[in-house]
Amino acid sequence: MRKVLVALFALGLAFALAQRYFAEEELKRVAAGGKAYAEVFANQRPDQALCSLHRNRLPADLLPQFLEEQRALIKYPASGKLMGDWRKGGAIFNNLQKANCFSCHFGSPVHLGGDVGPSLEKYGLKRGQSEAVQRYTYEVIYNSWAYFPCTVMYRFGAQGLLTPEEIADVVAYLLDPESDFNTKPAVGSR
Amino acid sequence: MDPREEAKRQKELLLQTAGILPTELVVAQGEELFNRKGPSGKTMAECDFGLGKGVLEGAAARLPRYFLDTNRVEDLDSRILTCMTRVQGFKPEQIKRSEVVAIAFYIASKSTGHRIQVRLLFPEERELYALGEKLFYARTGARDVGCATCHVTYVGRRAGVLPYADVLGKDKSWTHWPAYRYSNDQIWTMQDRIRACYGNIAHPQPALYSQPILALELFLAYHANGALVEEWPAFVR
Ligand code: HEC
Ligand code: HEC
Repeated sequence: MRKVLVALFALGLAFALAQRYFAEEELKRVAAGGKAYAEVFANQRPDQALCSLHRNRLPADLLPQFLEEQRALIKYPASGKLMGDWRKGGAIFNNLQKANCFSCHFGSPVHLGGDVGPSLEKYGLKRGQSEAVQRYTYEVIYNSWAYFPCTVMYRFGAQGLLTPEEIADVVAYLLDPESDFNTKPAVGSR
Repeated sequence: MDPREEAKRQKELLLQTAGILPTELVVAQGEELFNRKGPSGKTMAECDFGLGKGVLEGAAARLPRYFLDTNRVEDLDSRILTCMTRVQGFKPEQIKRSEVVAIAFYIASKSTGHRIQVRLLFPEERELYALGEKLFYARTGARDVGCATCHVTYVGRRAGVLPYADVLGKDKSWTHWPAYRYSNDQIWTMQDRIRACYGNIAHPQPALYSQPILALELFLAYHANGALVEEWPAFVR
């Protein structure tokens, strides 16, 4: 019994350690960069620590739990509707300060898109508006790490960058066949 | 157009119209400041930039490094600061950043044609390097970003005008700074470049001359070991 307890304790400790990325000594040196700078590192989240530790390629044995934890962070709009107002969504999608989606994705009729992420050109016409597509799109935007662990795309909902309602508006912007995103040509398309 | 080619073209254009490059003007200004006497009556020629008192040829290509007299790892910027305060007798609050940058331009110009030679010999150098590596790969903040996200995972992709540089590999980015940025008419050292990248990702910036900047610099410089300094100060977009 005692042995088991010791082993369990060691396992717990190993897990706790695995979640830390910066050592105390290192955080002290980082503090020389200034208070605001250092706080960001001191407040690194365990999931961020894991991605840092494994340089964005999580070992297979960590994946199931990681994905489960990321899924658990997803919240939905109170109304239950995953598609909101596409006009409002467009203003969010195309705003550099707000969501900046266009910087990484091609497909916006307003701005020339980047190629860090896949092209979303005519996304709604290609994918349709089924319940499954709505849910997938909403969840990827809310928490990209629930589908693509450690990816570069911000976790807009999970990190509080956008509210569930705002995300539903963006989903509508991408999916609604009436949306400018699907009726107007993408900037730079041939 | 390739940003490097574009920079070359802009440089030619400027040289033709103005007859002199902004980099040359700043280097000349830096040289003057270097030879200016401080409150102690000494010029900067009394300082050791790593290869002995007053030796500038190739010195910048061997920085950052550990200095016994300060018991710290210093890059060109911080060594200039050390020289101005300890040897020339300036008070820290008297030192203008623009002067430090101009002097850095001048001293760096003496390393054009040299190869980067940075070592991890002293424990302090090794510890700072290890910290630099961690900072480089750290994912933090509300956007979960870190240097490696753009400069390793998405090298060559773009989320704006410029593709993400391979700063640890083929782009030999360490050799591109200090530089004049013609698109913004700014003179920057690597310290400014790193702070700007933090700014771009909405991350609070580390203080100038601080350890985290030194750590990242040592990490970047070490990865550029053996690379030829084509031209310091450089001329970039
Ligand atoms: C920093 C870059 C970046 C930003 C900003 C970004 N994304 Fe992404 N996005 C990506 C990447 C990269 C992927 C692919 C995930 C992977 O494979 O790692 C992706 C994937 C997606 C997908 C899934 C695509 C598919 O084919 O299944 C959707 C939908 C999406 N993003 C929408 C958005 C929206 C909407 C926004 C703004 C609210 C946004 N993205 C902001 C980089 C970004
Ligand atoms: C969101 C993406 C992104 C992140 C994250 C980022 N950078 Fe950059 N970085 C850029 C872009 C874009 C440029 C090109 C701008 C230019 O060349 O003027 C750049 C330029 C650079 C350069 C100069 C490259 C050259 O060849 O001249 C260095 C060095 C650099 N970054 C270091 C860093 C460091 C260190 C960090 C982490 C603190 C970092 N970057 C984080 C996007 C990023």
